[in-house]
Formats: sequence, structure tokens, C-alpha cells
Amino acid sequence: MKKYMAYPYGVWMLIFIIAPILLVVYYAFTDKSGALTLGNFTSMLSYTSIFGRSFLLAFAATVVCLLLGYPLAYIMSKQPPRWQNFYMMLIMLPMWMNFLLRTYAWMSILENNGFINQFLQNIGVIRLLNTLLRPEAPIEYLPLINTGGAVVLGMVYNFLPFMVLPIYNVLIKIDKKLIEAAQDLGAPSGAVFRKVIFPLSMPGVIAGITMVFVPAVSTFVISKTLGGGKEMLIGDLIDLQFMGNAYNPQLGSAIALVMMALVFLCMLIMNRFDDGSGEEGGLLL
Amino acid sequence: MEKKCLIELKCIEKEFDGEQVLKGISLSIRNREFVTLLGPSGCGKTTTLRIIGGFESPTSGDVLFEGRRLNDIPPYKREINTVFQRYALFPHLDVAENIAFGLRLRKLGEQEIQTKVRTMLELVGLRGFERRKVTSLSGGQQQRVAIARALVMQPRVLLLDEPLGALDLKLRKDMQLELKKIQQSTGITFIYVTHDQEEALTMSDTVVVMNHGIIQQIGSPTDIYNEPVNAFVADFIGESNILDGVMVRDELVRFCGRSFECVDKGFGEQTPVDVVIRPEDIKLTFPGDALLQGVVESIVFKGVHYEMMIRTEHFTFMVHSTLAEPVGKTVGLSVVPFHIHIMHKTEAAQ
Repeated sequence: MKKYMAYPYGVWMLIFIIAPILLVVYYAFTDKSGALTLGNFTSMLSYTSIFGRSFLLAFAATVVCLLLGYPLAYIMSKQPPRWQNFYMMLIMLPMWMNFLLRTYAWMSILENNGFINQFLQNIGVIRLLNTLLRPEAPIEYLPLINTGGAVVLGMVYNFLPFMVLPIYNVLIKIDKKLIEAAQDLGAPSGAVFRKVIFPLSMPGVIAGITMVFVPAVSTFVISKTLGGGKEMLIGDLIDLQFMGNAYNPQLGSAIALVMMALVFLCMLIMNRFDDGSGEEGGLLL
Repeated sequence: MEKKCLIELKCIEKEFDGEQVLKGISLSIRNREFVTLLGPSGCGKTTTLRIIGGFESPTSGDVLFEGRRLNDIPPYKREINTVFQRYALFPHLDVAENIAFGLRLRKLGEQEIQTKVRTMLELVGLRGFERRKVTSLSGGQQQRVAIARALVMQPRVLLLDEPLGALDLKLRKDMQLELKKIQQSTGITFIYVTHDQEEALTMSDTVVVMNHGIIQQIGSPTDIYNEPVNAFVADFIGESNILDGVMVRDELVRFCGRSFECVDKGFGEQTPVDVVIRPEDIKLTFPGDALLQGVVESIVFKGVHYEMMIRTEHFTFMVHSTLAEPVGKTVGLSVVPFHIHIMHKTEAAQ
């Protein structure tokens, strides 16, 4: 009886996930006339730097998310239960707003005559920098937008909750008795964290890394808005093949396929680190 | 036992959110002693254990270890180790690494750690289990790992919090004897928490009966069973018939509308008391040969004996006997004076 309940999703998956992937595979291996070819993949070689930049920026964003998110999740898990719900809400709050809107907001903050630069001008920091550093041409603003840093910032801002939540979820489920057992066996709080809490939270860390890295590596909205044209990522490249002037769905499919393979590979490597309690971590793939 | 006092609790009180869980616990535990804290759930026995382990601090009162105040010493600095109720084994480590956990923190050499781990595994009968995942072990095996993990630290005191609670009866009996053996061979002081009176009587040198955060009685298993100080202890340690009675004068007590000779004195005259009679101390006779007559209401076969409920005019007695009497039969109930236990009424006794 219960088995039939899964059928609607099965049908959904077939139509909207399996079929599109097969379509992507088909396009990737054919040319415009429909003949089999590997040409799409060889022509991709000229985009290696975009692949490199995408993975680098996504990696940087993931690292920053982890460094910010883990302590946050840890501190949150230590609070009294009703405060935990409140903090949880604070973290979820930005996600209630439209993704595009949030990113545009950052644009107006980082722009050359945006909030930060105006503020710096008003308090005289820009003038101070000009007098101190004496650049050849005096600057009027700090170049914040259209940089790799702005893209990473946008990624961190948008994807941080996806790092915090899985780690927090794992941390609150760790049996308090295990912490007491570690103390009982002679572990001061630092050792309790290193030898018990952190290893046991690895499934959450792995899940968090996955949930930040995957959308970060394939994003195109953030790089388009905060990176300008300068910081093109794989997502933009694919976008360009389907919606832009470079219209070439065959090449776009091939890029998408390669990216999928690379992400899959990354996840495979990630899961290797999670040898301790492999059952949970393995679920991610 | 002429051994010096190792741990001393002095007027320990503990409050959780305004609720008093421990109301002045004072207790001294000698070196190499096997002490059991026994009582129903919520009596404060686990809290007492956690205070000794350092996981809770008392609201007032002192914990002394060889005369030194232990209150503010964190758990990781105490020469005390704990076997936790649900074992609390580290799921990310294998059996050997669980046992080696504390040794590694002591920064012992790898060689020494391996030797100690192997010795411990042999002691608890888990040789060859080194590389097994703890999650793949049965309850009994996990229990042994937990014991090995605590014992390998060579603590002065081992705290055990209902360690056998999750095991089946047969395994529990085996482990009781094994624990007792380990305790005797290692000479470590054991403080054991349980709600199982049989377990307490089987293993302990000293039993501490607790209820409502108060120590009811401290004594050897024989003392506790034979000379319970109040109706609560009598009822908790084995089954008992507890009746309201009046001590008429020394060596004469009145209950169920009759007067009985007994051996207790010093209660004064016409004092209300609890009268406790063990089910196995009641002899069934012909109706005419006893002061009390009753009708057999029910009979249950318990293995070694039959358990009968016998209704008399004022009270329904529980009687254990190896001979069965048919339901509905009228019998006489007789008790020798020595087996009528007289106790002061206490509020704590229910």
C-alpha cells in the first residue's frame, strides 16, 4: 500500500529530473546538425580559467562560511532551548526575502557611490587615504563591487544558513552523556571538543560544505550582479549559451555535464573525510 | 572492615529549579568497599552519584575525598571514573580506541596503551574485538567496553549508574557476579546505583536505601533485609505485608483486631506503629490453630513458591508458600513473634 505513495514522486522525477539530464547528455554529445561529436568538450578547453575561478571562489566562500558558521552553530547549540529557536529565526530571516532582492541590496551597498563609499567619503577616510598614500590619480571611492571579493561576500551572505543549519542540527543531537564521558576520562573542555564534539559533528560539516559549495559553484546571479562582467563563472557561461547572444545549447549542455561530474567528484572526495560515521555522510550522494 | 574512609558526603543538598532533590545526604564510604545506592526512580540516587563524579555541584554541603574538599574540582581532574547508564561509548571510535581514550589524554606511550587495552579486553572477555565498531556490539558487549574504558584508568573509585538496566535477566545475573569479581580482584571502590533490590543485595558490602532525597537506612544486605528500619525499606527490599498496628506495651502489639506477642520493645504504650510481616514468614495452618483466619483469594505459581492472596476480616495478606491451597479455602495464618517487625511510622514511608 505504502509503496504506491511514492509513485507520484517517481513520475515527477522521471519527467523533470531524469528526462532533462538525458536531454543534456544528448545535446552535449551532438553538434547543431544532430551528429555525434566530442567537439563541444574540446572547445570547452578555452574556458578553463572560468572553471578555475568558479571553483576557487566557491571554495573561498565555503571556507568563509565554515569559519563563520561552525562557531555560530556551536554557540547556538549551547543556548537555552527557547533562545535557540529565536536565533534560528534570525538566521532564517534573510531567506524569507527574495534572493534577487538581497543580492541587489548588496549591489547598492558596495557600488562606487554606494552606501559604504559614501560613508567613507563623509567621514573623510577617502581623503585621508589620498593624502597618506598619494596615488598618481586621487581616488574617489574604494573599488568594492565587481571584484572577486564581492562575489565571495555575496555567496557567503546567501549561503551561510545552509552551513549553519546542518551543523547546528548535528550538534544539538550529540548525546550530552558523551561529553560527560569524555570529561570523566580526563578531558578538559578543549580536548572534549577536539576528540568528541568535532569528530561527531563531521556529518553536519560535510552536509554544510555540500550545501554551500554546490550552489556557489554554479551561481550566476551573484557573479552577474556583484562581479560585473569581470568575474565570469561557470553559471554565467552556461547562462550565456542558453539565454545570451552566444546561443549554443550544445556547448552549454557539455559545460553543465562537466560541472556536474566535477561537483560529483568533489562530493566523493568530501565523503572520504567522513570515515568515522560513514552511514550518515554517505546519504548525501 | 577496618579500612579508612575514602569518600565522605557531608549534608549534601541539591535543588533543581526550586525542587529539593537531595535533603541532607551524609555518607562515608570506605576504601575497597562495594556500596550500592538503592531506591525508586526520583529518589536522588543518580544525583548523588553525579555529585560524586563532579557532573553536578551540590547546592550546599561538602564532598570529601581522603579528607580533601572535592566540590570545585572538575570531573576530569578527579580520580573517579564512571560507567554510564546507557554506556555513552564514543560512536566515532572503535572498541580499542574507546578504551584508549583516557590513556591517550594521559599521553602514555603507544606501546603501553596497546598493552593496557589488550589486558582490559581480556578482563572483560572481549579479546579480538579491538577493531569492531561499538555500534555493531550487543548491549552486553557495549556494557563490557564501558566497564573496560573506565577500569583501564585505574581509578580509586568507580561509579556505576544502573549499568545493567538495559540487559536481559540472565545476562544481568552473570554480569552481577562478574562485576563483583572484578571489584574484589582490582580492589577499586565501587559506588553502584540501582533500583533493583535483588541486585543490591547480591553484590554490595553496604546498601544505602534512599527515598525522596533522604537516606532511609545504611547497612549490610543482611541487616537491611532482616532489620528494616521503617515500612518503606521493608516494602522496597522484598515484598512485605505492612499493617497499621498499635504497640500496647513492650512485646505486645495489636493489629487486625487481635493481640500478638512480638520481640520489640521501647515504643512506649499505646503507640501507633507499622507492623511488617514478610510473605514467607506466614505459615498456613488449620483455621482453628491460628489467631487469624482468612480465605484464599488467588494463587499464582512463581517458580520456587506459590504466591497467595489471603483475605482476612481486616487485611489481605500476601503469603509465599511451597504448598498450594485451593482458592476459596479457609485457612489459618500464624506468625512466630520473631517475624513480626514493629516500626515507627514515618512520613517518608508510603
